[in-house]
Amino acid sequence: MSINFEKVDYIYQPNTPFAHQALNQVSFSLPDESYTAIIGHTGSGKSTLVQHLNGLLKPTHGRLMVQEQMITPQTTNKELSDLRRQVGVVFQFPEAQLFEETVLRDIAFAPKNFGIDEEKAAQLAKEAAEAVRLPDSVLDKSPFELSGGQMRRVAIAGILVMKPKVLVLDEPTAGLDPKGHQEIMELFARLKSQQHLTVILVSHQMDDVAEYADQVLVMEQGKLLTQQTPQQLFSQVEWLNKHHLGLPHATKFAFEIEKKSTFKFSPLPLTVSQLANQLANFLPKGVSQDE
Amino acid sequence: MNKILLGRYLPGSSLIHRLDPRAKLLLSFYFIIIIFLANNWSSYFLLFFFMALTILLAKIKIGFFWKGVRPLIWLILFTVVLQIFFSTGGTVYWHWGILSVTSTGLVSGIYVFCRFVLIIFMSTLLTLTTPPLEIAGAMESLLKPLKKVHFPVYEVSLMLSIALRFVPTLMDEALKIMNAQRSRGVNFDQGSLMQRLKAVVPLLIPLFVSAFNRAEDLATAMEARGYHGGEGRTKYRVHQWLYHDTLSCLAFLALTIGMLLLRNW
Repeated sequence: MSINFEKVDYIYQPNTPFAHQALNQVSFSLPDESYTAIIGHTGSGKSTLVQHLNGLLKPTHGRLMVQEQMITPQTTNKELSDLRRQVGVVFQFPEAQLFEETVLRDIAFAPKNFGIDEEKAAQLAKEAAEAVRLPDSVLDKSPFELSGGQMRRVAIAGILVMKPKVLVLDEPTAGLDPKGHQEIMELFARLKSQQHLTVILVSHQMDDVAEYADQVLVMEQGKLLTQQTPQQLFSQVEWLNKHHLGLPHATKFAFEIEKKSTFKFSPLPLTVSQLANQLANFLPKGVSQDE
Repeated sequence: MNKILLGRYLPGSSLIHRLDPRAKLLLSFYFIIIIFLANNWSSYFLLFFFMALTILLAKIKIGFFWKGVRPLIWLILFTVVLQIFFSTGGTVYWHWGILSVTSTGLVSGIYVFCRFVLIIFMSTLLTLTTPPLEIAGAMESLLKPLKKVHFPVYEVSLMLSIALRFVPTLMDEALKIMNAQRSRGVNFDQGSLMQRLKAVVPLLIPLFVSAFNRAEDLATAMEARGYHGGEGRTKYRVHQWLYHDTLSCLAFLALTIGMLLLRNW
């Protein structure tokens, strides 16, 4: 039940003067229970790519496999209903999708659409609200009374409530404060290990990519440039610079140290804790920190 | 949603693109009025000839204009069919009760079809060659005389240009919310009429909420930048009436004379 793209093209508004090719011969495959990050510039086709995963967009040419569902240009929407349940997509600024009178009803909206009865849906909604750590006191409030961070949680709970096998996150923490950011990212990591999810994260935050992902897809102008592990990718500093992509803060710091001294990191650290460990090894044995 | 061509701008640098938007707006309206002068084959031929000439000058493929006609094709066919079946006069080819197909009916049906096509072509040409904000600016300067009768010209044109500016933004937003709700299991294109109407609620409420928020943000941003009403503002986009604008007016004058001559032939 892996994800497999075969030469997928996507063209917006084909055969008009506004035609725009957003994906160009994209092929890759992702194993089950993997955590994949997709990076690239704005307009590189990341969001278009992830919308293929639950059939919101269908390829103009080529085909893809998601959760035993083949999607070709001819696939009809009816065949995709089941797939939508198994692939949950958290869109950019997902709080824009809230509409119900109460938070609980909004979270329960998706299961009800998939034919689950009212009572069971409310039960599932409560569980999802708990999973995203929403306090019980907000469940009967209107979603429009909440703070931005809480609205984001409600929207995410509205996706998790479907118990998807694949979770697609399109910049889930954009516009959140550092605390909210960290909480949400940790939430996804926890859910992934608890519920054995396959996670696909679109992000500009290289720190998150380095910390959570086990592989990275790099997109540029609708093409897939490379598929690598974060370790491989972030050790090619020159290549990243050439493609105007950033580095995780720890890697950047280590790289600067290497340039200005004789220190050699192997491998280049990706996270602050890896950096700290390697730096600690450089210290001569028996020397305490305050000397 | 992406198939709608009316109201979209196709950047270019042709003669038609460079015309003063005021001239284009006025002349397009004028053309639509002139269409109703036509009452025989030769006058329609002249109109189509003129239309083809302007399209040629705009350097836009004729195919895009047919795309503009397509969404309205059922309305056009409906009107044409009404004309054909309910007109009387001339030779009767077929009739049943009050329905009849006559030579006059057929001819007027074709005339109605031609009128629709010409009107749609001209308005498509106007929007394809003029950026929406230019149209709003042209409206403002054309409405200016109405200030004498206390018509709120600035306010109306400001609303118009903001509305035009946010059409694509709101379309994107609507598409985004639609996608988000589709991934939550909403079917916008299946089920009975009632179910489809219900499916619109999760789209409309977020859209209205975001429009309210957007309006509030925009108003704040405008005030912060020193906007306090239309009086006493200067203009960044100044329209210039040039030689080719006068020329296009002369072309329309020639068309009018031609039409009047053919009409009374």
